[in-house]
Amino acid sequence: MQDILKKIFAGMASWVCALSMLTGNVSADEAYDVYNYDRWGEAIPSQAGYLADRSVSGLELGIGDFSSPSDIFRADDGMFYIADTGNNRIVVVNSEFDEVVDIIDSFEYNGDKLTLKNPGSIFITDNTLYVADTDNSRVLRCDKDGKVDLIIEKPISELYPSELTFLPRKIVVDKAGYVYVVVNNITSGSVMYNNKGEFVGFYGANRVEETSKVVWNYFWKLIANENMRKYMTDAVPAPITSFDIDDEGFIYTCSDSLTQDLDAIKKVNAAGYNLFADIETFFGDASTPDYSNNPNNSYVDIDVNEDGIINCLDYTTGRIFQYDEDCNLLFIVGSSGNQLGTFRQVSAVESTSENLYVVDSQKNTVTIFEQTVFGSIVHEATRLYNAGYYDEALEPWFEVLKRDGNYRRAYIGIASAYINQGNYEEAMKYAELADSQWRYDRAFEGWRTEFINENFMAIGVIVLLVIIAIAVVVIRKKRKGGRKS
Amino acid sequence: MMDLSEKQWVKHAVFHPFEGFEDMRWKKAGSLKIAFTIVFLFFVGTVVWNRLYAFHFWVSYDKLFNIVPFIVKSIVLFSVWVIGNWSVCTLLDGEGTLKRICIFSAYSLIPYVAALYITTIMSHFLIYDESIFIDCVYYIGLGWSCLLMFNAIKTAHQYSVIKTVVAILLTVAAMLIIMFLLVLVLSLFQKVAIFIYSIYTEIQYRVRL
Repeated sequence: MQDILKKIFAGMASWVCALSMLTGNVSADEAYDVYNYDRWGEAIPSQAGYLADRSVSGLELGIGDFSSPSDIFRADDGMFYIADTGNNRIVVVNSEFDEVVDIIDSFEYNGDKLTLKNPGSIFITDNTLYVADTDNSRVLRCDKDGKVDLIIEKPISELYPSELTFLPRKIVVDKAGYVYVVVNNITSGSVMYNNKGEFVGFYGANRVEETSKVVWNYFWKLIANENMRKYMTDAVPAPITSFDIDDEGFIYTCSDSLTQDLDAIKKVNAAGYNLFADIETFFGDASTPDYSNNPNNSYVDIDVNEDGIINCLDYTTGRIFQYDEDCNLLFIVGSSGNQLGTFRQVSAVESTSENLYVVDSQKNTVTIFEQTVFGSIVHEATRLYNAGYYDEALEPWFEVLKRDGNYRRAYIGIASAYINQGNYEEAMKYAELADSQWRYDRAFEGWRTEFINENFMAIGVIVLLVIIAIAVVVIRKKRKGGRKS
Repeated sequence: MMDLSEKQWVKHAVFHPFEGFEDMRWKKAGSLKIAFTIVFLFFVGTVVWNRLYAFHFWVSYDKLFNIVPFIVKSIVLFSVWVIGNWSVCTLLDGEGTLKRICIFSAYSLIPYVAALYITTIMSHFLIYDESIFIDCVYYIGLGWSCLLMFNAIKTAHQYSVIKTVVAILLTVAAMLIIMFLLVLVLSLFQKVAIFIYSIYTEIQYRVRL
């Protein structure tokens, strides 16, 4: 009797296991529709490049809940530094994101003890910490033990209006030790300091978009007198919201302006010039073809990983738009909502070459996205392609097409590889599928040259025959005409 | 003198832009059949130009194809031009009949229609760097057609140059008005159709009850 009962229980247990595994599979699906843009700029369903793995709260790490965390930074040693803004502390988490290594909440400066007040951002380079102590209006530079050796404060300069507050939101430090600070009430770019903490100037301002206001201002200034001009307001560019620096020292900025699209995402060189200005592309969501629905992307954070892949975090939709170094859209990850993988109020993004880490300042969690197999193949192919290894990238691109036949980048990659190999006929086919006119043109030019070279004799004979035929017709006509007259 | 067949008249009109139409008018030549054929070829040409142009010059939107815009761009446009010109020029002491305006206008379309087909064929042989040849052919065709059209109107109504210019400008205005009225009429018909259909469905319900 007992045996029978045992068997029944065992059977039931195995069924429960199987069922839970089934439901487990279902919940592994994303809580949102994964999409990408096709060659017409229309949204189509796509394979996911990242899947939400888990979301980590402060409680799970055993340090009490985070309170509106606003920044995350991954140091060179793999440690994650989270600016836990509301709790006035910096939390250091190990690279697996399951254990707290350190909590930094007090600093020492010339024997005095300093505490933080709503720290907004953190940056680490060469074992030196830079903390944006937002509500204390200062940036601290310290070593890993919390010994502060420099405090950067509001610049005293004619360039910086003295009536403006100085609330550092984000910081970035370049290799020379120059500190760049985003202050959200300044439209002329980030505030730049040298490594001694002296104010140097502004860097990386956006351009002013040519709106109707600019045109009207120009018109009114032609006829307005001094008194009238006093009451005119200038058209100002959108301030930058956040930025990141890549290994080569280029700074990438983003802007959360809903009214100005110009320079919303940009890559700035040393001269302050936007390197993305001449690339024909768009960032974020596309408007529908009939312009009935315009996207309202507002980017709160940007991140560049070691492969040069750019992640743009959109506050409005809770999505991460991932681009390669040439601004080609790779993946769109995330959405707004309450489930795993969706967000209520995103504030920062950080990435490794495999994972994405997204901070939600209302859920008080860090969500970890893991790259899927599809994502890893795309990244591999993109890396090879952008490094110029077109032929080597051919195989991964075909693998990508096997998994998602709508993935436009794959067709571009294959077309480029075939052009490189001199396989022009195939290149033409794939360039057309990729909707890349200039690649098609290059392939066609190659194909035409080859065709003429191979059939030179035949073409020559045909041309000769045509000329003779025309000559015969003309002569016969002339004779006829002559007879008539 | 000038005993040409209808086909030879076509050639004569196209290759003698300044006196070709005068000769045609004098001989009362020109056939409506050829004119309609040309307009039909014009319609086919616009479709071909849009759909069969080589990929590296022009990307057509493949997701859906609608023939109506092409009909409007060719056949409707031509008809509105003819009717607009006729209605304006009868008021401006023009001598042209509706038939003659139609024939002359259609004949003067020939270079442009030819350019549509020739450029489409050329696009499959040339690369983007050589597109200047295609532009050249296209603009020669267009300019030639404009010149022919001007002389066609001038001859059909026996106008001076300045009067022709005024007539053409007024014709364009008349075309806009006709188009506007057409849209109004169409929407009115639509409303009437919906009205009749709703009465029909209403009656159907009652009958069933």
